Amino acid sequence: MKKKFAWTVIALLMVMALVLSACQPAAEPVAPQEPAAPVEEPVAPVEEPAAPAEEPAAPAEEFIFGLLLVGPYNDKGYSQAHYEAGEYVVANVPGTKMIYLDKVNTADRPGTTAAQLGEELIQQGAKLVVFNSDDMKDDAVEFTKNHPDIFVIHASGDTVWTEGENYQALANMANLMGGMEYGKMIAGCDAALHTQTGSIGYLGPLINEETRRLASSAYLGARYCWENYLEKDPADLSFRVTWIGFWFNIPGFTEDPTQVANEFINSGADVIISGIDTTEGLVEARKATSEGKQVFAIPYDFVGACDEAPDVCLGVPYFNWGPSYARYVISAMEGTWKSAFEWMPPSWEDINDHDKSAVGYLSGPAMSADAKPLLDQFIAELAGGLNLWSGPLNYQDGTEFLAEGQAAADVEIWYLPQLLEGMEGRSE
Amino acid sequence: MSSPFLKIKREKMNVEFKNINKHFGPVHANVDINLSIKSGSIFGILGENGAGKSTLMKVLSGFIQPDSGEILLDDKVVTIDSPADAINYGIGMLHQDPLDFPPMRLIENFIVGQKGGLVPSYKSTMKDFEELQKKFGFSLDPEAYVDTLTVGERQQLEILRLLWMGANALILDEPTTGISSLQKEKLFAALKILAEQGKTIIFVSHKLEDVEALCSRVAILRKGILVGEVPAPFDSDELVEMMFGKVITLGERNNLSQEKVVLELKDLYVEQYPLRIENVNFQLRAGEVIGLAGMEGSGQDILLRACVGLIRPISGKVIVKEKDLSHKNYLEYMENGVSFLPASRLEEGLVPGLTLAEHFTIAGDEKKGLFIDKDYFKEKAEKMIDEYHIIGRPDLNVESLSGGNQQRAALSLLKNSLSIILLEHPTRGLDIESAIYMWGKLKERCQQGTSIFFISGDLEEILQYSDRILVFFSGHVSPPMDASTTTLDQLGQLIGGKGWKQVFDTKEKL
Amino acid sequence: MNKSRTRSISLLFQLGGLVFSLLFVSIILILVKSQPLEAFRLIWEGATGNATRISSVLVVWVPLLLVTCGLLSTFTTGMWNIGIEGQITVGAIFTTGVMRLFLETSLSPVLVITISILAGMIGGAIWAGLAGVLKTFGGVNEIFGGLGLNFIATALNIGLIFGAWSRPGVASMSGTEPFPEQFWLPTFQNFRVSIWSIAFAIIGLVIIYFMLQGTHFGLRLKAVGKGMKSAFRMGIPTWQHMMLSFIICGLFAGLAGAIQVTAVYHRLIPSISSGYGFMGLMIAMLINYQAIWLAPIALFFAALNIGGIQLPIVLKLDSSLTGVLQGSLVLFVMISQGVKQKFLGRK
Repeated sequence: MKKKFAWTVIALLMVMALVLSACQPAAEPVAPQEPAAPVEEPVAPVEEPAAPAEEPAAPAEEFIFGLLLVGPYNDKGYSQAHYEAGEYVVANVPGTKMIYLDKVNTADRPGTTAAQLGEELIQQGAKLVVFNSDDMKDDAVEFTKNHPDIFVIHASGDTVWTEGENYQALANMANLMGGMEYGKMIAGCDAALHTQTGSIGYLGPLINEETRRLASSAYLGARYCWENYLEKDPADLSFRVTWIGFWFNIPGFTEDPTQVANEFINSGADVIISGIDTTEGLVEARKATSEGKQVFAIPYDFVGACDEAPDVCLGVPYFNWGPSYARYVISAMEGTWKSAFEWMPPSWEDINDHDKSAVGYLSGPAMSADAKPLLDQFIAELAGGLNLWSGPLNYQDGTEFLAEGQAAADVEIWYLPQLLEGMEGRSE
Repeated sequence: MSSPFLKIKREKMNVEFKNINKHFGPVHANVDINLSIKSGSIFGILGENGAGKSTLMKVLSGFIQPDSGEILLDDKVVTIDSPADAINYGIGMLHQDPLDFPPMRLIENFIVGQKGGLVPSYKSTMKDFEELQKKFGFSLDPEAYVDTLTVGERQQLEILRLLWMGANALILDEPTTGISSLQKEKLFAALKILAEQGKTIIFVSHKLEDVEALCSRVAILRKGILVGEVPAPFDSDELVEMMFGKVITLGERNNLSQEKVVLELKDLYVEQYPLRIENVNFQLRAGEVIGLAGMEGSGQDILLRACVGLIRPISGKVIVKEKDLSHKNYLEYMENGVSFLPASRLEEGLVPGLTLAEHFTIAGDEKKGLFIDKDYFKEKAEKMIDEYHIIGRPDLNVESLSGGNQQRAALSLLKNSLSIILLEHPTRGLDIESAIYMWGKLKERCQQGTSIFFISGDLEEILQYSDRILVFFSGHVSPPMDASTTTLDQLGQLIGGKGWKQVFDTKEKL
Repeated sequence: MNKSRTRSISLLFQLGGLVFSLLFVSIILILVKSQPLEAFRLIWEGATGNATRISSVLVVWVPLLLVTCGLLSTFTTGMWNIGIEGQITVGAIFTTGVMRLFLETSLSPVLVITISILAGMIGGAIWAGLAGVLKTFGGVNEIFGGLGLNFIATALNIGLIFGAWSRPGVASMSGTEPFPEQFWLPTFQNFRVSIWSIAFAIIGLVIIYFMLQGTHFGLRLKAVGKGMKSAFRMGIPTWQHMMLSFIICGLFAGLAGAIQVTAVYHRLIPSISSGYGFMGLMIAMLINYQAIWLAPIALFFAALNIGGIQLPIVLKLDSSLTGVLQGSLVLFVMISQGVKQKFLGRK
């Protein structure tokens, strides 16, 4: 009897927790661009009650595209960047409508696969489906093969890259990826320009090709500005990468990013570049600064990330998927679709142009007046063709990566097997 | 006495039942009961097991609700929904199997019942407890854990707790079973004091002797019906006739023991805090009945359990049929034909939630294929129900049987052809007729060579049925005594620790 | 009061619980400015709208059913096998590990799949056995032991996915490298559900039903659960039976994990248990530990899970609302059982 009672209480708590999470959308009304949506949309299926199963319910002239987001649509990070890109498309391409499903991962949606959920979007009339995560690669490929009449964008994938290691010919798939390497170079430069101790900490997620190349890009940017603008010896620049093990903190499994950030600070680093999706680096930098030890931080992913601690935030490299999505949606609508792999550098005229640039770097309030012109100069040099991925460059273990005067091929960067010489931290 | 949480403050309370009816499935447990009980008296409720006494009392104490009828307290109709409600009205019930919270200390158990302030005052409670128990001559250790108490001590604790919570009417359901005669004397004295204070005492029993000694008025129930009310002084024969509708006599005593030794204890040393039993040497012969006499907690239960592998001896040997089982567990004893019937039937004997038929399925040795032959075991259950006069059905859960019927069921579950049966209080809570029946069944087994080793708080029962007797006093075990030459008086003295020197010529100082 | 009347009153109260939980969820829906009827219709449509959806529901139903079958075994001996999640996970790990061993061999895929599934069952049983050992020998409450073992199983699983078994070059949340198609449990044309996994589920249900209802072993488990001391006195070796009930549960959980690997994801993923263990606990409570109701109630839960996907897509509601529905269903049915007991009186 007592046991039963305890379980009633637990069940009650579970229900309460679920209620709270379910109420969230109501508690913070998002989707400002479509305030009428929640009211109107429920009505739509009522008008065609028999339709949705057999045929897409949308009127012929409306082009519906669907997003599968790995995280919550309002995560202030990677998935929100995609969600806002979808809204950008609706606002800029007439006759389009967006549907989406967030939290597409097996932990949040047990027993489902991204491919299956993509099919649900087709049921709702989607003609083009975006898979936004690298984790969905297998499902995206399976889905693309099973639905040759549906256009698929797999963001961050490399499946249709003819030079890539995983190439498959899929006419209805496109792979898009922002050239975040540039964003990270700028971040690295910014960090080098601000460090007083000559020590930079890089808060890495898990180790894979993508994260290795991004950390290395940050290092290249830092080293370039340290050597050329500050005219210091690269040997005096300490650039340390600590991998926590995942994109965010999972207690017990990953290292605690808060602790890692503190270790950076205690061992003398005064700029923390974040490679993870959450903002522990920023928070700890602010804490240290308020205690009298000036520490800066550079977050990642989302354009608004600096807001959490503006006074120590140097800037943020972010993705801007909107313009590229718009292009592909239009090509799908007009019948000019072409399968392609696009690794999109920033638009050098203005890297923060929301209508053009796939990647941006938004300077934060902590940016110093001295550093500002130097950073602008660095961006201008990159725009002018400066290629930091060129020789001489060695891998971390000392073996040669690029000889003098040799520039890296895209595949060599994309599938980077090791960190670079001069960086501290694990490569595997 | 502080009683800060009563719904109605009063010193005295008259209790009245009006047309109470209660059914349990097909059993009409209370038939239109009308009864009026005046405060300041000790009122007896007499009846054999299954007569409906416990049901009526559970209605009054809020454990069950009647199908129809009313309860009046001081001429006002009240609805008693729960035991908590009952205690708010000042009604406290002492159960046949006392209910408490075993892993707690006595004093904590005491505090748990109170509803008062948020923070229980440990100190003042302790003071109340000590005062209260002094009044009644009890000697419980408030720091001891409840699960170390004997049934008799638990009853004492429960009485104190109910009084402390402010009970004006005290219901005692078979309170004298399982407690020593000394404890019984103390209890009776306490009840008389309470009655003089104006409390209403309802004394439920099937023991004529107790009722005659204590009550000023008695109501007799038979098969759910109130057959009559009698004021003191009582005529025993009249009461027996009202209870059973016929006159019965005790069975004849006969010694069936053979020469063969089935159980031998050699220099046995067992310990269970705080008692220690040393140097027990004893031989149990086939067909023999040995009674273990002593006050609750004198060590007889420890020895009994050591004989069946439930307590491992520290040294010495337990030999069953020439096989040394000293360090074997209970299940091996079972395999060697030793069976144990514990006192707390629903805790250790029967499985609540399982039906009678299911019990026979588990206990039986036959038809042990993968699947249960349900028809077979239903028939077997029906046969046993018939043979052992159990009031129940094969598909009835054991906990819905009355106490006596549970005991009959437990007995009927024992396998045939056992070497030894160990029993704790085999007739506790049973009416005379059931007790005689029970012993009849046991003696039948003795005739087939089964030996019996039993504990009882009832000295008369020990004298009546044993061939030899072992007397226990705080861990000391007497040499076996011949039951036919022992008197009740002698036995009473011995369990109280008197006269050991003379009888056993022991040098030990007691 | 006769038995059939008692039973129909029982049913009435269960239904009452269902109605109350629907009302409760409706109120929440109204509070978030949605139309309850529309939401329920969408869930229904989303679960049954077409053959694909029905097959998706069955994909969830199979492991859910198996897991709950296992839980009925431990509930029968009176234990809360919270460690069920870890048992599913370890089952999946064993299946994956064994399958990886045989990928390159010339053994027939059918044989490899069979061995891998058996390995999964053994893995689940080992993990359950650990919980049992902690309980019976270590005196660790099975709830705490189970939580600890769940934690270890999750860490082991993620450690393998990101470590020893990670994909070449890319450690990814999406799991290990998918197995080649010939090592998948065969599915119906174009549908996600495998006929084999449905067969396993039905066989499992039949076994557990007859084990608990009709066998001596099942009755002994029940006796241990209802009164351990008494059962022991009646000659039942209690700890052995508790261990066996854990191991049986582990076999079922391991099978569920093996099916997740061989029939659903075709690889090991971080959340391979999909929370089915905890959902199974809810179902077991809801059906009052009676195997007879298991299949339909598990189907209902699976349907809620799949149908609930429509809520975020169409109504932009958080789909954890279906979780609320499931949780409140358990809660209200338990409340109504309490009320019923009051109503029918104590036994």
